[in-house]
Amino acid sequence: MRIVRDTDSVLSDWRGHALRFEGEIGKVVLGQERVIRLLAIATFARGHVLLEGDVGVGKTTLLRALARAIGGAFERIEGTIDLMPTDLVYHAHLGEDGRPRIDPGPLLRQGEQLSVFFFNEINRARPQVHSLLLRLMAERSVSAFNREYHFPHVQVFADRNRVEREETFELPAAARDRFLMEVQVGMPMETEARRSLVFDPRFHNVDTLLMEVESGVIDPEALETVARAIQSGVRSSPALEAYTLALWEAIRNPATLGIEIEGVDMARLVQGGASPRGMSYLVRAARVRAWLEGRDMVVPEDLRAVFPEVMAHRIFIDPVYELRRERIVGELIAGVFARVPAP
Amino acid sequence: MGLRARMGLLLLAAAMLTSCPALAQLRSVDLYAPRPFGYVIGDAIALTAEIALDAPYVLDPASLPQPRPLDYWLDLRDVRLKDHGIEDGVRHYTLDLVYQTFYAPLEPRRLAIPGVALSAVDGERRVAVNVPAWSFLMSPLREIISTAPGQAMALRPDIAPQPIPTAATMRRLIMVLGLTLVAFLALAWQKGWGPFGRRRSRPFAQAARAIAAPLATAPDAPSYRRALLALHRAFDVTAGRGVFAEDLPAFFEAHPAFRAAEAEVRRLFAASRRVFFGDDTQGAQRELPPLELVAISRRLRAVERGGP
Repeated sequence: MRIVRDTDSVLSDWRGHALRFEGEIGKVVLGQERVIRLLAIATFARGHVLLEGDVGVGKTTLLRALARAIGGAFERIEGTIDLMPTDLVYHAHLGEDGRPRIDPGPLLRQGEQLSVFFFNEINRARPQVHSLLLRLMAERSVSAFNREYHFPHVQVFADRNRVEREETFELPAAARDRFLMEVQVGMPMETEARRSLVFDPRFHNVDTLLMEVESGVIDPEALETVARAIQSGVRSSPALEAYTLALWEAIRNPATLGIEIEGVDMARLVQGGASPRGMSYLVRAARVRAWLEGRDMVVPEDLRAVFPEVMAHRIFIDPVYELRRERIVGELIAGVFARVPAP
Repeated sequence: MGLRARMGLLLLAAAMLTSCPALAQLRSVDLYAPRPFGYVIGDAIALTAEIALDAPYVLDPASLPQPRPLDYWLDLRDVRLKDHGIEDGVRHYTLDLVYQTFYAPLEPRRLAIPGVALSAVDGERRVAVNVPAWSFLMSPLREIISTAPGQAMALRPDIAPQPIPTAATMRRLIMVLGLTLVAFLALAWQKGWGPFGRRRSRPFAQAARAIAAPLATAPDAPSYRRALLALHRAFDVTAGRGVFAEDLPAFFEAHPAFRAAEAEVRRLFAASRRVFFGDDTQGAQRELPPLELVAISRRLRAVERGGP
């Protein structure tokens, strides 16, 4: 009983931290409350995030603000077509004495305390780099200098520009499946936010803007423990488990529920996906959301709030519909939530 | 006796031998007729001939006369042949002939109905059967030259037509039309045609009906859960989609009538959260007792009907 109360009080303390963390990011990134909330969920679910959006909507700013708010060691790298895995791990240069030297590269430079690794324009990097990243995300370790490096606290954030398709390499499904979320970053909707972003000189210099973010709001070392406490502290009832399984079934067989999308043959739309790992990620994210909302139980709204970001990229649809993917999968998910009866 | 005479006798005997069976084939033709006098123009005369034939012979139906005008004044109206079967090797027939006479005599006058020639066959041989002619007296209808001045006849008015009894038929017709109308209205109601299309389904009324009895008799956990589920389904049907607690602002936006019961609805959703996702049915029942749940369902039903 005592332990439970302790866990509860720790969780509520941390909830305060988490809300402050959101608030700090929200100071410099306007009109993206939903994205910030999703990033906070990912942070406390210890999941990796892929951001996708137009050019110049503030993806990089958002991630830099997030890295600063988390505190801890931060590294970033730009994806380019000639980037090779060794460029991430090693840094080869000539020393002052004129001899060639090999030092730890961006990934190893901060040692094993690395907490945020930010990969810009991930789809410009080659598949070799993707596979290195895959291992870093799945096992939180890399091999270098004849030994294993472990990064127990690392969280990978990647971003991808969806406008340009030339000289890019599509991420393999296995790599995408390892991201907890794929978050779409759009334009801010409110006119006021848009006006501020354009006319307020505060937003013109990103570096000074980021100085406004209070650094180290949460302790990256403790994040792992808190994440575990959240997962064990937030209950999911049998009714909710049944609901989750019904959602899963509905996503895989939308035709049985009578969901209809205009111009789509529902019998052949969904080819596969919605992996068990995806569903476990979904529940993980839903628990964190419930905790952020101040509840100790998961409710269907939590599932619904994180479902598109966690599941949409795991649903494989017929290639015929791939070009209209965003709209079709969005309607599919909305249809599933409208039709599956919640207990 | 000379040879010639003897030869002649022999021939006669042979002829008799061969003709005797032919004579014997027709036993009798008896004609029965009505009175032979007192007929006027237009009268029908029925003659009956009884014919007896030796057994293998039958009357040839093709030789029977066809009903037809026989003369300018005499019609054969009807011909009926009745076969009475074989009795003691003799076949009996009855032939009914109905004539009608149109003769207009100026004074009583004897007329004759000609005979009828029939034939009988036994497969190969054929014999003639003659029904004899019959004569009778016809009389005029009136005197030749009128002796008394004729009086104009006073025409009696026409008989009024008998009304056909139709009341029962009319009653049945009206009844069937009424039934048809009722059936059509039922079909229209079921299909939602015309004004029935605007009929609102009443999910809350159904939910209230479904939960009132079980909760009043046995307010245990399963029936409490079922009652909450019934109300949730009613919300889903009303909104056309799943309604969660976080959707309530949007629900009230779309269905402003329910705003009158906003506090109750929020309490209901909070309790259902505790039951389904918090596994705390006891606490939920303390917070929202079953009887209050029934009251809320009635309230929602009233709101749905457009009441307070």
